[in-house]
Amino acid sequence: MSGSFQYGVSLYSYTDDIGTVMGLEEAFYHAADTGSTGIEILGEAHVEHYPEPNAAWLDRWFALGEQYKLQPTNFASWVDTHIQRDRNLTAEEGAAQLALDLNLASKLGFKFLRPKFGVIDDELTPHPIWEGAVERVLDLATKLDVIIIPEIHAPTPIRHPVVEGYVDFIQRTGTKHFGLLIDTGIFQDRPLPYWQHETPEMRKEAMSFLDGINVPVEQLAVVIEYTPFIQAKFHHIDEQLHDHNIPWERVVPALKSLGYTGYLSSEYEGVRDPWVAIEQVRRHHALIRKLEREYDQAAVQPEMDNHHA
Amino acid sequence: MLERSHVQSSGFANLGPEGARTGFRVRFRQPNYRGTRVSLMEGIDVVVDGEPFPAEQNRYLIAGREYGYAELDGLTELRWPVGTAIDILVEKPGGLEPGVHLVETVLRYRHPYFPPRFRPIPVQDSRHATIIF
Repeated sequence: MSGSFQYGVSLYSYTDDIGTVMGLEEAFYHAADTGSTGIEILGEAHVEHYPEPNAAWLDRWFALGEQYKLQPTNFASWVDTHIQRDRNLTAEEGAAQLALDLNLASKLGFKFLRPKFGVIDDELTPHPIWEGAVERVLDLATKLDVIIIPEIHAPTPIRHPVVEGYVDFIQRTGTKHFGLLIDTGIFQDRPLPYWQHETPEMRKEAMSFLDGINVPVEQLAVVIEYTPFIQAKFHHIDEQLHDHNIPWERVVPALKSLGYTGYLSSEYEGVRDPWVAIEQVRRHHALIRKLEREYDQAAVQPEMDNHHA
Repeated sequence: MLERSHVQSSGFANLGPEGARTGFRVRFRQPNYRGTRVSLMEGIDVVVDGEPFPAEQNRYLIAGREYGYAELDGLTELRWPVGTAIDILVEKPGGLEPGVHLVETVLRYRHPYFPPRFRPIPVQDSRHATIIF
């Protein structure tokens, strides 16, 4: 039998609740009660006084981790290339931002850093400074032992120049401290509801990816060796534990068959009415744990059959 | 903690002395899922009971300091965190009548990770809010 997934929650799930009806401690409580061992945060949302948290906040951070038995997993950051209307960051400035977040993530106990680079087109091609910026901080990442993992996120599929560029970089530098974060939104195969102000024309023209880009799960095989972390994005799970957009019944067996044993970090991105996210995250954990159990049982059964034959 | 709506009930008030109001202020929470450098925020339009107050003419009270619209773009090191509010300062001689008003807002956010054609993206909100005096 293969190893098991590790389960986590991204505090992005509780967006709009945090700061209005939920504090950091409640977020830890709800994440821990799913049985998770890992917690993912957004630096510039959940670290008070980012990027320079004070000693009292740091003490609280470590105390919460201990109390709720949650390990820091991934620290999400941004490299805001289009920093002013008429000015973009240089590679040096991008590297400075990455260094700042690497140091902070490491200080807080995180193993992964997800920088979100600015983009230059509809396919989310990162601004060309990304490569020079990352190369400048690879030694620091190695020293801190934090892995930098930009995300592969819809509408960018797996077979795409953006992914090829990242893989080329890994092969060229030989680094162990740069990889890919796969956002499971790329497997979405049924449409999302319209946004508040979205029209059918907008969906048809610019937002068609919200209907789902439906990447075949088999393509995970192409990138799994470079993928140490998965953001388990989802949007709505009903009372029958049926996900309306993401085909977990295909995603989970695909990851199992490839031997993935990293985190599935639940990232709820749906209706933002108060407290809805708490229940949605619980349903997600019930669903993916059930599918993992079923896969493991199906794998054990033939072995037993052989034994008795 | 703050209210769910972008515009906050408490903080909505007239400015200037009674009898000689100069305008009003709208207290407005960070509506984004993450805090940002202020330079990514390209101003906030306000409409009260149908009367427009464009972003370019408003002033912004952020972390205790007042800025004009043209200054926002230069604030690359000032951050507006999640769970905090700023005040939009709107000039309107005489202020607003005490009572309930319909307040509509449009914040223009420039998210560098959005495709260029969606930069900035308008973030809208609307609610009733009350001026007490």
